Amino acid sequence: MKRKCVLFIVIWVLFILQSTVFKFLQIADTSPNLLLILTVSIGFMQGKKEGLFTGFLCGLLFDLFYGSVFGFYALLYMYVGYGCGHLCDIYFDEDIKVPLILITVCDFLFGTTVFLTRFLLRGRFNYGGYLLHVIMPEIVYTIILTLILYRILYLINRKLASAERGISRNIWL
Amino acid sequence: MKKKKQVKLTSRHWIVIMTIVCIGLIVTSLSSDMVAAPIRSVAGYFITPFQNGINDIGNWMSDNSAGFRDNKALAEENKELQAQIDELTMKNNELMQNSAGLERLEALYQLDHDYEDYQKVAAEVISKDPGNWYSTFVINRGTNSGIDVDMNVIGQGGLIGIVTEVGANWAQVRAIIDDESNVSVMIRDTSNNFMVSGSLLEEGSGKIDFFQLRDPDDEVLEGAAVVTSNISSKFLPGLLVGYISDIKVNANELTKSGTIIPVADFTNLREVLVITDLKETKEIPAS
Repeated sequence: MKRKCVLFIVIWVLFILQSTVFKFLQIADTSPNLLLILTVSIGFMQGKKEGLFTGFLCGLLFDLFYGSVFGFYALLYMYVGYGCGHLCDIYFDEDIKVPLILITVCDFLFGTTVFLTRFLLRGRFNYGGYLLHVIMPEIVYTIILTLILYRILYLINRKLASAERGISRNIWL
Repeated sequence: MKKKKQVKLTSRHWIVIMTIVCIGLIVTSLSSDMVAAPIRSVAGYFITPFQNGINDIGNWMSDNSAGFRDNKALAEENKELQAQIDELTMKNNELMQNSAGLERLEALYQLDHDYEDYQKVAAEVISKDPGNWYSTFVINRGTNSGIDVDMNVIGQGGLIGIVTEVGANWAQVRAIIDDESNVSVMIRDTSNNFMVSGSLLEEGSGKIDFFQLRDPDDEVLEGAAVVTSNISSKFLPGLLVGYISDIKVNANELTKSGTIIPVADFTNLREVLVITDLKETKEIPAS
């Protein structure tokens, strides 16, 4: 229960930060994808089911305020979380290399999917241009923030885990 | 935890169930706004107040960083003057639009169609699209202030965008630089109709693309003012969009395309005006 509450608060805070503060701190017209970092981290640290629901919630929030097709981002983030959950078995304390690679790959796939579904179908064929001007800058900025955010998420996770020790592992989240 | 006996659902079941849920949501949202609208309006109460607050802090900080405490008054005054300039630019644009249009209209139709004084509501930009693919933003006024979908948003002396979603205390605006935005426009002085379309790849340069300009006599030059056209279905006529930056003849030798520099600066939008008059397209005006 505690874990769920914390997760909701984290999603909510990151969403607000991403849509306000980081829009002022844009570098090269790009802002980082904090919700993706969260989804990947939760999936990686806690497993498929947790990643799936975290992704779904993040995407839903995104859709509520900014999506033109309701449910699109929810689906996308959900698959990211679920996919990363498969790597939960190799999760090892404090190792930041795997999440970094994961986030890079996921952000790349995420951007490409958005391009394929929302841009290519409208006749925008210049993938190279979008890759260079939108996808790559986002990946770089997101990776830089991962170095900070992942540590924080890791600490939260550890704190919650130590508080839960003794109690059986929660059903979901 | 729960004593209730429950069927054990593995993550594989969940992904199938949630995929169906998401696809269901996508399908329903494409066909109607039944599902999203109520959730949106509820979620608005949890998110917008905080975005508002953070935004106020951000503005307060940027106001302060403009100078020392004593300079705050100057910043305030500057802001007021800027607003005044925007308003005057708007007015001037209206007047120029009038004078250019008046002669022609009077001569042709003996009409004294005056530029209507639109009802406007001021609003503040509180957040922007968290992703990097779209140029939409959220303002802190919604249905409670009389804002509705398809209302035009202006600011800094020109057209900014159009309201696409609305909640009780917030509204989502799609900027004209958004990749999915298309605006029907015309050259102010010659009334050639054409289309302006935002482009994500041009965003860095601050320009937007235009195309389908028919100009057989080469009358349109760089720097010509572009205003919303009167045949647009959603945009009110005569709102200044920007100035033509470069222009080239298409391969078909019939139409021209190029780029426009918008009058509004989309990188630091803070206050905008929403025109609460909707363009009426369904019924023919009485006069």
